[in-house]
Amino acid sequence: MNQQTVFIRKIAYAVAILALLLVLYFLGFPSIKDPKNPTQILPGGVLARFKGSEADAALLSEIQLGEIDPASETIRLVSLGMRGFAAQILWQQANEYKMKKDWTNLSATLQQLAKVEPHFVNVWRFQAWNLSYNVSAEFDDYRERYRWVIKGIRFLMNGMQFNKREPMLVWDTGWYIAQKIGRADEKKQFRVLFRQDPDLTESETGGQRDNWLAGKHWFRRAEEMVDQGADLKRVTPVLFYSHAPMCQMNHADNLEADGVFGKDAKEAYKEASREWWEYGNRAIPTHDPYVTLRLNDAEPFQEEAAEIVKKLEAMEPGLREKIREERKNNLSKAERDALAVPMEKRTDRQHELAFKAEQQLRVTHEQLARRLPEKFRSEAVTLAKKADDLEARAANIMRHREIVNFNYWRRHAKVEQSDDALAARAALYEADQAMSKRADLVKAQSKFEEGFALWRKVLDANPGLVEDTSYGRDMMEVIQNYRRLLDSRDAKFPEPFILDDVVKLHKGSISE
Amino acid sequence: MVIENPLPPFLEWIGPAALDWVIVAALVALIAGAGAYLVVALRYGPVTGFGIARRTLVDAAIDVVGISPRRIWALGLLGVKESISRRILWVFAIFVVALAFAGWFIDRTSTEPARLYLDGVLSRTSFLVLVLMLILSAFSLPADLKSKTLHTVVTKPVRMSELVLGRALGFVLVGTGLLAVMSAISYVFVIRGVAHTHELAAENLRKPEVGLASQAAGLVGYTESTNLFPHRHRVYVDPQGTVNVEPEYGHTHPAEAVQGAKGVTYVLGNQEGMLQARVPIYGKLRFRDTAGLDTDKGINVGDEWMYRSYIQGGTRAAAIWTFEKVREADFPDGIPVEMNIGVFRTHKGNIEKGVTGGLAVRNPKTGLWVEVEIFESKEFTPKRLEIPRKIPNRRNAQMIQRKATVDNVTELSPPEVDERLARKEGDFDLFEDLVADGKLEIWLRCVDPGQYFGAGMPDLYLRADDASFTLNFFKGYLGIWLQMALVVGFGVMFSTFLSGPVAALATVGTLLGGYFREFVSQLAQHKVYGGGPFEAFYRLVTQENLITELEPGLQTEVTRMADTVAEFLLRAVASILPPFGDFSYAANVSNGFNVLADPYILVPVVRAIGYLLPVLLAGYFFLKTREVAR
Repeated sequence: MNQQTVFIRKIAYAVAILALLLVLYFLGFPSIKDPKNPTQILPGGVLARFKGSEADAALLSEIQLGEIDPASETIRLVSLGMRGFAAQILWQQANEYKMKKDWTNLSATLQQLAKVEPHFVNVWRFQAWNLSYNVSAEFDDYRERYRWVIKGIRFLMNGMQFNKREPMLVWDTGWYIAQKIGRADEKKQFRVLFRQDPDLTESETGGQRDNWLAGKHWFRRAEEMVDQGADLKRVTPVLFYSHAPMCQMNHADNLEADGVFGKDAKEAYKEASREWWEYGNRAIPTHDPYVTLRLNDAEPFQEEAAEIVKKLEAMEPGLREKIREERKNNLSKAERDALAVPMEKRTDRQHELAFKAEQQLRVTHEQLARRLPEKFRSEAVTLAKKADDLEARAANIMRHREIVNFNYWRRHAKVEQSDDALAARAALYEADQAMSKRADLVKAQSKFEEGFALWRKVLDANPGLVEDTSYGRDMMEVIQNYRRLLDSRDAKFPEPFILDDVVKLHKGSISE
Repeated sequence: MVIENPLPPFLEWIGPAALDWVIVAALVALIAGAGAYLVVALRYGPVTGFGIARRTLVDAAIDVVGISPRRIWALGLLGVKESISRRILWVFAIFVVALAFAGWFIDRTSTEPARLYLDGVLSRTSFLVLVLMLILSAFSLPADLKSKTLHTVVTKPVRMSELVLGRALGFVLVGTGLLAVMSAISYVFVIRGVAHTHELAAENLRKPEVGLASQAAGLVGYTESTNLFPHRHRVYVDPQGTVNVEPEYGHTHPAEAVQGAKGVTYVLGNQEGMLQARVPIYGKLRFRDTAGLDTDKGINVGDEWMYRSYIQGGTRAAAIWTFEKVREADFPDGIPVEMNIGVFRTHKGNIEKGVTGGLAVRNPKTGLWVEVEIFESKEFTPKRLEIPRKIPNRRNAQMIQRKATVDNVTELSPPEVDERLARKEGDFDLFEDLVADGKLEIWLRCVDPGQYFGAGMPDLYLRADDASFTLNFFKGYLGIWLQMALVVGFGVMFSTFLSGPVAALATVGTLLGGYFREFVSQLAQHKVYGGGPFEAFYRLVTQENLITELEPGLQTEVTRMADTVAEFLLRAVASILPPFGDFSYAANVSNGFNVLADPYILVPVVRAIGYLLPVLLAGYFFLKTREVAR
């Protein structure tokens, strides 16, 4: 090999290195501020642009994105392949520190644990729960409890950095911000602390200072991830998608609990109503991978089925009753006798017999169609099957609705945004304040009575509301306070009372 | 600070400890001597063997008596040179790199950053130095023997005892040098690490809307947060312009308002209080139950960890600390008390307020009991209260006789009381009325019915003084030094009769066994779930959980019999292994407590000597035996 060949080879190497560097530059040049115009961000190389879309970034590993956490990687490297063993020891240590109430070391150990196993989602979920729910409860001072709740929330957020395609960490964050802060015993204090916490950033709260709205922000982010293909694993979809609109509902309720009424509360309920409708309109997967449903579809399905049934029954009016009578004659005497006894008076044996009899008497649409004259039968059977299908779909939706108490919340948002309901709530809130904070019993009584009168109007405007157990229980608590107030003033409970129907239906719902 | 196994004062400890040491040393010497004689007798016959053994013992006595410190020092320096030639400076490089990137591994959300910094530097130093010393001491002699370098040394007029001691001294000198430099670097690292201040803008201060009436005339607000351990301080500026920065994360900041052309600006200084060395005086803790009887323990509220016992609020229950040697000269103006108590609520009560407690003092001789302060609890944070020299007479003094049942007989202490003492006019004097022969009782009680306070012995102490943090920090390194000396001792001893790698493994085993001595001891006493080593192995192989009873049968019987033998051996090993963890002062230093000379320095130092003496003597005999065998 002569000198010239060596020189040419060196040049070739240099050119190859340069070429590779150029490729690297185009691929990896980071997104930076424009030096000439600092308000502008230069898009950077291929990877930086790819990173712009979070969903795309999620498809790449941390190494590809240049987002390696040096501390995590160092710990993993120095554990020399004994990562699992190290995690096990740290887990044991964390338990020991928790038992011995050594919170400083517990927190430090959890940070290390997460660095050893950053992609093990359950470590983040379990230990975040530990911090926000178990450790926080150990503190007597509610401010310290709040601090540890936030610590758990931040632990989850830290976990998201390493698990960008894991919706449950995002969902948990929403749950902690919404439910832990908004439903704890010390929710009143927590909500104030959350609202005033100067260390919470906009990215942590989604720019919202009400914990329910901040929680909603995270639930929506989790929904987006699932909509883009992330796996929900074993979470029930109908529940998963209900939390964001429920946050809006709780936000509106809590505004009233905080004494905010009028336009703000009305708008909050309007928004809750809209979001609940949107939720009802969302295609929700069921346990059957080929079946999705929309909760709002129950009524249209029922209506359509009713139309078909009406058409079916019009082909030979009275046929269904006729078949039923025929079957009734085939029942045993004991079954007939059991049917004749009113339901509330039946014995266990009679219930059993009556149930069997009812099963036999039930005329399905198809059975009805098959008894119709020949000329209608073919069309009737088709219609009957369609009605059955629609009714089955509606029933399936109704079952899913029950999981989230869909009907109640739909009505709740609608009822509460009415002017009468808002005014009634405002009056009852003022009555409560006058009674508990200022001991102004005269004003309290007048506000109670004003609130009851307005609530009467709400009940009259919403048929069926008086039977609602949730509303009934709430109102009974208010009536009980009113009764105490009257007792303390040596006044008699009014007879008749404007909400007598509520008292009659729900008096057993609260303890005296 | 949690102290699960408190050390007794040196003078109380030394007697029984010395006796134990003599018994164990004699037993070990007897067993080792018998074993050695057996080996020699088997090899050379009983009579010749006896002669060899006698000669060895006589030589040993001469060797020990004739030790020359000058020669040991020379051999020690040789060990230092050898260590340096083995590039021990690499350890410095690792240490510096570890410190440079330590920030990555510290929990940024911690409320006790100083503790993490201190724990971090002490544990890293300890790990690096112990590993280095282990390698140096375990591989040095075997390498010399292998390369015959030792032969050059033994041709000089040196004794075997001097060789062993010289080696050990050399490595200890190297370790001391390393520790000295590392501690200095660590000190700077910690001081710089926790140093911080905050910005306080005048526009962040406003008239208080709610809060203390005493602050109504001033301004309140919050400082800006820091990047380091994000936290803020509440600030109160009184009408005179004095700035009070409230403690947060265990520290505060000096602050002043500076009047400038553009108005007032606030300047906050470096943190104060993060690095402390409290000097505590601990008392003896007893409890009083709801019936007013003295007990050793209070109520268990369901905690798995039974370090703290609880007292029920609104009852006669109390936690009583008895302090001794409380002298007027030490506390002329009153006694500062610090406590860190647990709170347990059985009902929510007032969420926004702590549970109400009371602190009282009692004269153990006369029974005079005076309430000093009613306070609001704050958990997991040291609370400082002051027992004043003159305790105002709030008409709440009473005479209390403590009742204890001994052998079914209730004894009263004191047997009789003079009620006139409680009806004294004017203030009570702490030392005249309540301290008797240097003894004082402090009573903690929970006032709110249905709520509980929990306490362990170290949870309430008299804060006698504050020692120098710098000195305390270096005392922390004294603990590592003692551990290092022990590792060197064991390493040298093992290296006198084992090859390098095996000696290193044996030293590692001793180190780990010593650190987990408590666990080994519990394992030997059958106190660990899953049984002894053989039963645990059986469960591991058969995937049985730790709780279920094993099926009765031959296998189980054999396993348990094997465990009985193993547990006997484990018990023997556990009782002679040095408890390495007990030599560490990291907990004291990082929790801000002074490492008291008695017992925290005296006891471990004597203990270390107690271990090193027989270990080095054994090393000498092993080396001698090698020579005899050769």
